[in-house]
Amino acid sequence: MQTNTPKPTSKPPGVFSLLKPYMGLVMLLLLFALLSNGINLWLPKIIANGIDDYSKRLFVFTDIIKKFSLAVLLIFIFGYLQTVIQTYASERVARDLRQKLSDKISRQSYAFIEQANPSKLLTNLTADVDSIKLFVSQALVSIVSSLFIIIGGSILLLTINWKLGLAVIAIIPIIGGTFFYVLKNVRALFIKSRGVIDQLNKVINESILGAALIRVINSQQLEYHKFLEANTEAKDYGLRILGFFAGLIPIVTFTANMAALTILVMGGHFVITGSMTLGSFAAFNSYLSLIIFPIFVIGFMSNIIAQATASFQRINLVLNAPDIAAAGTLKETLRGDVELKHVSVNYGQKPALKDVSLKVPAGSKIAVIGPTAAGKTQLLYLLTGLINPASGNVLFDGQGINTYDSESFHSQVGFVFQDSIIFNMSIRENIAFSDTVTDESLDKAIDTAELRGFIDGLPDKLNTIVSERGSSLSGGQKQRIMLARALAVNPKVLLLDDFTARVDNNTEKKILTNIQKNYPGLTLISVTQKIASVEHYDQIILLMQGEIVASGLHDELMKTSTDYVQIFNSQQSTSNYETGITH
Amino acid sequence: MNYDLNKLSKEQQKTSTFAGLKKLFQLMAHEKRTLIIALFAILTNSTLNLLGPLIIGHTIDKYVQHKDYTGVIHNAIILFCMYLVALFTSYKQTTLMGGVGQRMLFTLRNSIFNKLQQLPVGFFNQNKAGDLISRVNNDTDKLNQFFSQSLMQFIGNISTMIGAGIFLLLINIELGAAALSPALVILFLTLVLSPWIKKTNALNLKSVGGMSAEIQESLNNFKVIIAFNRRDYFRKRFDIANRENYKTAIGAGLANNVFIPVYGLFASIAQLIVLSFGIYLISIGQFSIGLLVSYLSYANNFYNPLRQLAALWTNFQVAMAGWDRISQILSLETDLPMITQGIVEPSAALLEFRNVHFGYDESREILHNISFKLEQGKTYALVGPTGGGKTTTASLIARLYDPSKGLILLDGKDIRTYTPEERSQKIGFILQEPFLFTGTVKENILYGNKLYKDYTNEQLEKVITDANLGSLLAIFESGLETPIISGGDSISLGQKQLIAFMRAVLRNPQILILDEATANIDTITEKLLSDILNNLPATTTRVIIAHRLNTIENADEIYFVNSGEVIRAGSLNDAMDMLLQGKQVS
Repeated sequence: MQTNTPKPTSKPPGVFSLLKPYMGLVMLLLLFALLSNGINLWLPKIIANGIDDYSKRLFVFTDIIKKFSLAVLLIFIFGYLQTVIQTYASERVARDLRQKLSDKISRQSYAFIEQANPSKLLTNLTADVDSIKLFVSQALVSIVSSLFIIIGGSILLLTINWKLGLAVIAIIPIIGGTFFYVLKNVRALFIKSRGVIDQLNKVINESILGAALIRVINSQQLEYHKFLEANTEAKDYGLRILGFFAGLIPIVTFTANMAALTILVMGGHFVITGSMTLGSFAAFNSYLSLIIFPIFVIGFMSNIIAQATASFQRINLVLNAPDIAAAGTLKETLRGDVELKHVSVNYGQKPALKDVSLKVPAGSKIAVIGPTAAGKTQLLYLLTGLINPASGNVLFDGQGINTYDSESFHSQVGFVFQDSIIFNMSIRENIAFSDTVTDESLDKAIDTAELRGFIDGLPDKLNTIVSERGSSLSGGQKQRIMLARALAVNPKVLLLDDFTARVDNNTEKKILTNIQKNYPGLTLISVTQKIASVEHYDQIILLMQGEIVASGLHDELMKTSTDYVQIFNSQQSTSNYETGITH
Repeated sequence: MNYDLNKLSKEQQKTSTFAGLKKLFQLMAHEKRTLIIALFAILTNSTLNLLGPLIIGHTIDKYVQHKDYTGVIHNAIILFCMYLVALFTSYKQTTLMGGVGQRMLFTLRNSIFNKLQQLPVGFFNQNKAGDLISRVNNDTDKLNQFFSQSLMQFIGNISTMIGAGIFLLLINIELGAAALSPALVILFLTLVLSPWIKKTNALNLKSVGGMSAEIQESLNNFKVIIAFNRRDYFRKRFDIANRENYKTAIGAGLANNVFIPVYGLFASIAQLIVLSFGIYLISIGQFSIGLLVSYLSYANNFYNPLRQLAALWTNFQVAMAGWDRISQILSLETDLPMITQGIVEPSAALLEFRNVHFGYDESREILHNISFKLEQGKTYALVGPTGGGKTTTASLIARLYDPSKGLILLDGKDIRTYTPEERSQKIGFILQEPFLFTGTVKENILYGNKLYKDYTNEQLEKVITDANLGSLLAIFESGLETPIISGGDSISLGQKQLIAFMRAVLRNPQILILDEATANIDTITEKLLSDILNNLPATTTRVIIAHRLNTIENADEIYFVNSGEVIRAGSLNDAMDMLLQGKQVS
């Protein structure tokens, strides 16, 4: 199958480009953040004025209370509005991004999903979107308001005393450099630890999906060791990351403290020599504490931005994947002629089908038999458009499969998969899975699949919810629900993949008779192991190692193909019973 | 037993929360020594941080104002030494507490996984895989975030706060009490609001679990979605889950953010109280302006960390909500305990069912009063219409479930008295749906096999050839090294069944159960399989469930399973008759 390597673009879009559609919200968010921060800066001034007024005996108590209360109230209101908008903005970005992703994924081909790997897509839709959410809800506001304070504070420092100001501002590049160094190392560790977490999740997932096997074999201990290994590695990475952070914070604090010391020593000298007032000296101290915190914030937020950027790139890989070739527009009702012309299919490096050609006239019944791993399932996947041939053509009524409108095509071709796929919803929804199904065709499908008795025996009849992976149903019941699902669309072509494997002979015969009676003119292509039930078919194809080695009527094959005879003989001993008893 | 995590009874949830909290603390118990050292580092660090402003203030008052520069230098050196010590203690504080957090997370993940391994199959059938995965991954990650990021800040802030609080009270007890009073209101509000925050976050985590279950189901079954042209199905179902998640996330977000402005408000009110009360005290001559200025900064030292605690407290609530969901799993116990006292009666039969009743849930009995015996070395076939109870019977033999009534004896002893190890060594069960792990064919064949686990490819190939399995291996393109992706389509269902077959045979069990284990394998290969089965040691008992009669023609005895009853058929003909006449229950 083809690999979708994304086209290298000149520069990957930054995570900020994501915000364009939400400009209004973002602006409102920044406005409230700056308002509440701005008023916060006003508070010390009110207090300072109060103290000054008091010492000048101009103190009006109610006046200062009023001003202060007003400021406090405004900060509260703006601060609260900011958090509300923050929540809405980040959740909306997350929701819309998820929706875009799911839209894109839902339009992709089966090959894409298999290759992209469902569990990775799950991470895209959850963890990656979450880290972008964090960026919107925290990083954005913090960085803008921090920059605002740092720049403002630095300007004030320089205007008071430029020499001391420069000395103090010198800490900004030192702290910045430390952050840069640590975060660069930590980021590399983050990427590696993410790989370990993926491994951890894989062990968890497989231990949940394979729970029955693990209990049968009693390999819980083995699974635990696998987990322990990954978990230990995760812990080690966690401790290494911790080591970097544990070094970062003390160094930054120490640098800030050194700045305070510089102010004391240098500023003290200036005050003693009379080149600076005591008030300015005090102001220096308070401004220092004012700008230290935002530097911290920017440091940590840059990490969130880096993570969000990485997540956004992973998400973009999915969003920018090429769309599958525009679907055809042909909406004609199928007669049911099916033809393969020199079709080859590769699975990875190995050829699954080699130059296969076959013709199935409308209304005829053909069987495909062959050993395990001969490419039988691949052949059926081709006929439903789940996979595309590497070369050759798949034709329905003489037209290429891709020229058909996919909705109209899939509502005329029914496919019963080999492995049971049951969704966690009611039996009705499982059978009427396609939305073109009417009550009438639903009833017909249920009767044909011999499910009536089973469904009537259930407490909620058709509305009974079946559990995920169908674990509350027997193998045969699942298989018949899958058949009913395929029949419910009233198909012109029915593809059965080893349908009879899990259904007993008696039921199988009834079902095949029902299909003939209820769906006359249906083209039937059946992959099967049992020759007895397909002896009377119009054509039997023997597929071995991806090649058609023989095809024809049963009697012809018995004369011409030794492989076929061998298979036939392997089933002989008991098929006498099976056929004998029905007559 | 009810294992559905979303339908746990109130009582189960309550006890699990309490027991869970206790467990969470137990996880830290062995770290006492580290915790004490860390606490010491934290206290030293906070004291040094609080002393800094005091010394600077003292220097200004005493030396700068009196133009004594040597005094300034003298104090600067003291400060420098203090900062150096703080550099060390703060590093220690972070590494020690962070280490505790990381190790606790490690232990926690291990105990969850261990619990998952202890729970029976019934648990996995009652819960959606996606939801379980989300609980183990997302919810532990919420705890992870708390432990690795918030815990250290949490403790640092609390110690700064306590220090500042003590300074406030020491300088002036009345003013101190007044300044701290808003903190009491905050404490009260926090206690009142926390359950609400936790609840909204629990709702949100639940919807995240639901969403991930939805994605998991749809993406893993994508071929059906394409073949039935229901791409809109995925979109619609996801859209509903996404909207639900959006709703709960906003609820949780609003709850999570409520503390920040509220704490800010009360911090400002505290300043106002200090200012007005302080000025009053000055006016009656009990306080000075200089003291008021430093008092205001100590109040800040108290309320600033409190404001950060607002955010951290929310993290804590989110973590607790995650922990609750995890401890729901931890509180479950397996309903298949090992018993020490059981019936022992020497008997000829290797396995015996004695009046066994069983139902997956109490309201619907699947097997009614079943009794039969399996003897050593014989081959048994279970036939019957779909849904008749064949797989259920086989699952009981392998003790995936226990009967609701009646007794199962293995080698004359109650099957419940065997350790899982003994039991799984005696009983091999090839499941209807083969499950493979990501890895290679070799890893999958040797999965859980203690005997051959260290064998090289050559040694293993010899074992496989000796067991007549060589021709099966030839079906795989790269033999033992053929790569396998769990749940992938890279090898066919028939090939998966072959691997499961080899895996079971190489374990050399006393009873080998094949539950339609060869259904998707072609008949020629199947013939090979039945030869292999026939060549198993003469003592091996085989139980074969199949629809294709040629796979069971060699059976010594045939049991007809229908409507939850097991009847012994005299011959293959008998069984055929019963199959034809037997009414369909399914």
